[in-house]
Amino acid sequence: MNYTVIADNLVKKFGDIVAVNGVTFKVKRSEIFGFLGPNGAGKTTTIHILSTLLKPTSGEALVDGKNVVKEPANVRKVIGIVFQDPSVDDQLTAYENLYIHGRIYGLKGKELEERIDEALKFIDLYGFKNKQVRTFSGGMRRRLEIARALIHEPKVLFLDEPTLGLDPQTRAKIWDYIRMIRREKNVTIFLTTHYMDEAEELADRIAIIDHGKIIAEGPPDELRSLAGNEVIYIKFENINGKNIPCEDDNFIEECKVLGQDSIMLKVRKASEVLPIIFEKFNSRGYKIGKIEYKRPTLNDAFLYLTGKEIREEEGNDLERLRTIVRRRWR
Amino acid sequence: MSWSDPLIVMTYRELKRFIRAKSRLIGSIINPLIWAIFFGLGWSSAFNFPQAKMIFGGFDYMTYLTPGIVMMTIFTASFISGVTVLWDKQFGFLKEVLVAPTPREPAIIGRSLGGSLTALFQGLIVLAVLAPMISNIRLFGVIPVILIGLLVGLSFSAVGITLATKMTSMEGFHIISSFIMMPTIFLSGAFYPISTMPEWMKILAYANPLTYGVDLARHYLLGTGDLGVVTDFLVLVALTVVTLTVASTVFRNASIE
Ligand SMILES: Nc1ncnc2c1ncn2[C@@H]1O[C@H](COP(=O)(O)OP(=O)(O)OP(=O)(O)O)[C@@H](O)[C@H]1O
Ligand SMILES: [Mg+2]
Repeated sequence: MNYTVIADNLVKKFGDIVAVNGVTFKVKRSEIFGFLGPNGAGKTTTIHILSTLLKPTSGEALVDGKNVVKEPANVRKVIGIVFQDPSVDDQLTAYENLYIHGRIYGLKGKELEERIDEALKFIDLYGFKNKQVRTFSGGMRRRLEIARALIHEPKVLFLDEPTLGLDPQTRAKIWDYIRMIRREKNVTIFLTTHYMDEAEELADRIAIIDHGKIIAEGPPDELRSLAGNEVIYIKFENINGKNIPCEDDNFIEECKVLGQDSIMLKVRKASEVLPIIFEKFNSRGYKIGKIEYKRPTLNDAFLYLTGKEIREEEGNDLERLRTIVRRRWR
Repeated sequence: MSWSDPLIVMTYRELKRFIRAKSRLIGSIINPLIWAIFFGLGWSSAFNFPQAKMIFGGFDYMTYLTPGIVMMTIFTASFISGVTVLWDKQFGFLKEVLVAPTPREPAIIGRSLGGSLTALFQGLIVLAVLAPMISNIRLFGVIPVILIGLLVGLSFSAVGITLATKMTSMEGFHIISSFIMMPTIFLSGAFYPISTMPEWMKILAYANPLTYGVDLARHYLLGTGDLGVVTDFLVLVALTVVTLTVASTVFRNASIE
């Protein structure tokens, strides 16, 4: 089978609140599928349904061909998950956390010990094997959770906002690990995030979710182009009064002369037309001095689709973490 | 999947956490010792006349109190260990168990067993500290008391787990600790014999499962008690089976909703 996760018209209601409102998508084997959406969009709820922790109000979902409602036990065997909120036991050591996890998944003895060492080395925490987790930084805890989710060699890995609240360097480091997992382990990754850059950096395909509904889906490039054309600026050298070439080709949506020696082109997909443009100007004796192009961002796409921005500022994250803490102690 | 793996590993987790939380250990031992020494020794000299000793099965009050204090320690420690499921809820470890392919019943029985073992350990320390202060302890009684302590611990950690799985807030925990724990201790015959209680209180005492543990401990450590040993054991075993079954059922159906 080519799809590891199939969601068909999932709906989840909490009383009056419709958290997930008819979500349908398919995740291909071994790809990284990004679920991008703002606060309260329904990302976590979707992950909880797919990981058998919540029953959908209606709709169906298959993970590795197994129905999440009818055969939860079989689904649980093949998934690994890193929850949005921390879930390691910080009174225990890194080793003890992984050991308990392994035993709960039916591993034991030498095999388990080897897998623990391997996972800790993979995520660069081997030196902290016997340290209590309460001494770990946020990033280290996150990495430990990722290692833990990999111990039982899942076929599908769910990552719910894996870099929420971490500083930029730590986030970049976690991204590297996620790429490494994809390269080295045979696993499909389902990742949720509200960070545009994270989805762009990591995901092969992205579904944008808002108010419990998927409003667009596709590779990052495709989604970006929803927001409009890409723009190419070209500056010619040694123009010396020559006519500036600006004629319409079928792949050029719009062309405009800027000043003495520059033009601006609007195109659908700059990466595809740039070589053609080079060719064309070269063969006609124009020398290109400088070329620049701008692509619409995912943020532009989101703005285009919903009329609002996904907020990304740090302050909001902190505020959000604080609410989580408050909620916990309520 | 097997039942032994989750059972063993959840017991392991409780033991590990117990070793880490030394302050918890000290707190849970100091408290009963304060009761035993200040309350026990104080009343012991006040009750130091023959008629009073008759009420306490022929023993001085301190001696009479000691088995009760040991059971109180085990009750409190195991109940609180069960209630810490609340913390697992708050800090996400519960989800980690719920999302695993393991059967949930042995996981929760293992947790109960871990709570019971650590509570028993604390009870035995309290006993070891108090034993030299009193004269008539039957040393071989400690062996049945270990079994009794385990059953009491299993039951009440299961009760704690059940409540914590159902509860949604931290306040709930405080309400429970005042509305359940203190009355259970006072109505268990740990501090005074059931036979001298007013009638209405007797009824509550008989309905209180801890009563049977206290009575058994007194039988084996001192050779005196209000009820029969066989009755006590039957009630205690039944209690353990029922509380563990309820905890397992509640936990099997636990959801994060
Ligand atoms: N257990 C619950 N009971 C009631 N409402 C809930 C529950 N869980 C989620 N919701 C609501 O459902 C909606 C979707 O929540 P969800 O956690 O899935 O969003 P999210 O996309 O993960 O958001 P975030 O970025 O905050 O993690 C929100 O409005 C939330 O308040
Ligand atoms: Mg979420």
